Amino acid sequence: MAILSSSSNLLLVLLISSLDWLSTPGSAFLMDWEHVTSSAPLEPHFTECVSRDQETFRCWWSPGSFHNLSSPGAVRVFYLKKESPTSEWKECPEYDHSKRECFFDVNHTSVWIPYCMQLRTQNNITFFNDDDCFTVEHIVRPDPPVSLNWTLLNISPSGLSYDIMVNWEPPPSADVGVGWMRLVYEVQYRERNATNWEALEMERHTQQTIYGLHIGKEYEVHIRCRMQAFTKFGEFSDSIFIQVMSSKETTFPLTLILVFGTMGILILIMLVAVSQQRRFIMILLPPVPAPKIKGIDPELLKKGKLDELNFILSGGMGGMPTYASDFYQDEPWVEFIEVDAEDADAREKEDNQGSDTQRLLGLSQPVSHHMNIGCSNAISFPDEDSGRASCYDPDLPDQDTLMLMATLLPGQAEDGEASLDVAERAPTPERSERPLVQTQTAGPQTWVNTDFYAQVSNVMPSGGVVLSPGQQLRIQESTSATEEETKKKGKEGEDSKETVEKKQKELQFQLLVVDPEGSGYTTESNARQISTPPSSPMPGEGYQTIHPQPMETKPAATVEDNQSPYILPDSPQSQFFAPVADYTVVQEVDSQHSLLLNPPPHQSPPPCLPQHPLKALPAMPVGYITPDLLGKLSP
Amino acid sequence: MNTMTVKQQVVWAALLWPYLLTMSVPLDCREEQGSSSCISISQEKLLDRVIQHAELIYRVSEESCSMFEEMFVPFPLRLQRNQAGYACITKALPIPSSKSEIQQISDKWLLHSVLMLVQSWIEPLVYLQTTLDRYDDAPDMLLNKTKWVYEKLISLEQGVVVLIKKMLDEGTLTAPYMEQGIFQEDAQPEMLESVMRDYTLLSCFKKDAHKMESFLKLLKCRQTDKYNCA
Repeated sequence: MAILSSSSNLLLVLLISSLDWLSTPGSAFLMDWEHVTSSAPLEPHFTECVSRDQETFRCWWSPGSFHNLSSPGAVRVFYLKKESPTSEWKECPEYDHSKRECFFDVNHTSVWIPYCMQLRTQNNITFFNDDDCFTVEHIVRPDPPVSLNWTLLNISPSGLSYDIMVNWEPPPSADVGVGWMRLVYEVQYRERNATNWEALEMERHTQQTIYGLHIGKEYEVHIRCRMQAFTKFGEFSDSIFIQVMSSKETTFPLTLILVFGTMGILILIMLVAVSQQRRFIMILLPPVPAPKIKGIDPELLKKGKLDELNFILSGGMGGMPTYASDFYQDEPWVEFIEVDAEDADAREKEDNQGSDTQRLLGLSQPVSHHMNIGCSNAISFPDEDSGRASCYDPDLPDQDTLMLMATLLPGQAEDGEASLDVAERAPTPERSERPLVQTQTAGPQTWVNTDFYAQVSNVMPSGGVVLSPGQQLRIQESTSATEEETKKKGKEGEDSKETVEKKQKELQFQLLVVDPEGSGYTTESNARQISTPPSSPMPGEGYQTIHPQPMETKPAATVEDNQSPYILPDSPQSQFFAPVADYTVVQEVDSQHSLLLNPPPHQSPPPCLPQHPLKALPAMPVGYITPDLLGKLSP
Repeated sequence: MNTMTVKQQVVWAALLWPYLLTMSVPLDCREEQGSSSCISISQEKLLDRVIQHAELIYRVSEESCSMFEEMFVPFPLRLQRNQAGYACITKALPIPSSKSEIQQISDKWLLHSVLMLVQSWIEPLVYLQTTLDRYDDAPDMLLNKTKWVYEKLISLEQGVVVLIKKMLDEGTLTAPYMEQGIFQEDAQPEMLESVMRDYTLLSCFKKDAHKMESFLKLLKCRQTDKYNCA
């Protein structure tokens, strides 16, 4: 039953609304009247029905084009209150013909119940539009709020803008206190002469803050309200006008003073910055040390000139460029070389003028003059390397350095890298290198007569540098050094790591090792020296060790107790006479960053091994170290 | 005989003893709306919360109705302003509809009217949820709102029941005043018909939610200030 009724209702609704499409002059006041064409004759219709308080409402009608119906009483208003299916059309309870208004008082107004309005003439012609049906709560337009007022909240520090608080009262007709109606308010404001209103957000309470009004300008504010969750607004209230003048006359000049003051200060700062530009730049952007390699033109170190640099470093074409060679002519290659006068005398015997090594070590006359070089001399090379470490105290025993240098000699290999490498190491405090010096007396010929450049085959953790086999001469002389070494061995007491190991280990090969004892870069060295006691010559050795001979020949003043880190090559004499290649190829770098080199092809020395304690090395095959051997060698 | 009855009574008392205890516990503890823990609440606060619920329910139902109208109802058929009267399910309820009437009825009737309204809408809301699911492109928000409204309505009912007990010292009226089972689904209803039916439902519910809210507010006014709320 209910379904039938509801479906019939729906059909009815559909029918009526479809009819509504066809009829153009809609008399529904709730429709948009702009859609109505003015050409067709307007029948009498309701213009609007409004309730102000949800308790009463009014409807106004218009006769339209039917002017004969404009007289009072010509048209009658009927309404249908759909309380039950049996409701009937009733006539308007209260007319106001002057305004063509039908007023429904409290007794006749029911909320939530649909009303339909109808106009009837005396002849019972009915003008009815379905859109004239409504429920009262949907036609509520509340009265505007009353008692609109404002108070000044604050003025901004600049004195240019201010905030106000606007407050009001709900319209008395709307029974808000009882809760019968729930209102929300909308405040709008604008400048006096502007055309657009600024609308603020809907407000449930009876006050609202307006921010950012300008001093001196006049503002107009008004307000309206509507029921919450409904759409129809009421009328706007009367406008109030707001204007706040600046109270302090001094604010204007004060702002001026502030602005100009700030500008002046800024200009001052800029002037200072510009005048002290250089200083600022120094502070902000300190100079960066340029790349520097001694003896090499900084120009070459710039990007893109790698080939030339390599060429020079590899010693091609006679080595360093001219100015560098000049340098080397006059200066020791390392700055901190110091040699005792007596040593210098002794060395003069073996002086080989032509040898770089001599020059380096200060053995040669010209060089000796340049002993006791402190930092100052060393910087004869036009070198403004600000990044260089501070110069060493020339009082340091530079003999260690010399010794170190000595080890560099072997070979004509002008392995610039090696030289460089060692040179870098030279400037470390080396007290232990004294013995080196002494060695030179005994067997310095070995190095002295060799070329300055030597190829560093390996670097020991202790800091020693393993050089590739050198020249013949050197080898020869080293043997004598070896003998001295044995004597020295007896001398050395402490520090006997290497000594012991030397004694204990059997070398398959020999390494030319320089170990400036106690030098800065000496790590805990487990005496990787592979020193071959002269008594155990092994085949396939190609390395010579230079022993720091504790000078029996010389007073031990300069000789420390440091044992000589040098290992002398002992054995195969034949070996020594074999021409030694200057260059060997670095085969690989092992875990200790030692370079594993290929032995030169015409020699049979095994590659230089890292200074691992060689316990029981198998017989060294002539030639390269194979990986399995390498494995055994590794600790 | 007497001993038997005495024994029976004793037995019954023993059996019903926990029930007696529970009966003595203030019922608002269990049935307080929205709270899981058993704290008692004053009558004013409870009424405030009930009113808040009603306001929220009305607002959300209004949003749902607008959303539904925009999405599904063809423009000419938008009945929002008109004749929802005939089709509303609660039209048969004896509920006052004007302010004057409302002001004349007693607190008791106000509360009972609210309760009637609430109870009569619970089942239709369930139906509405299922039917909205059947629409292909119903926005999730619409479904969520409907679901939310349903839940709030349930708790509103609980609150009103408690209020009635507290304010009127009565038991609840459990019988809903409307017909049950008018929402038997037709097999394969037509799209437009189904749309219109749902639209009517939503509109009617919106109206009734507004009614509930107004009634409750009036009731509150009466509680706080009997003389000005005439």
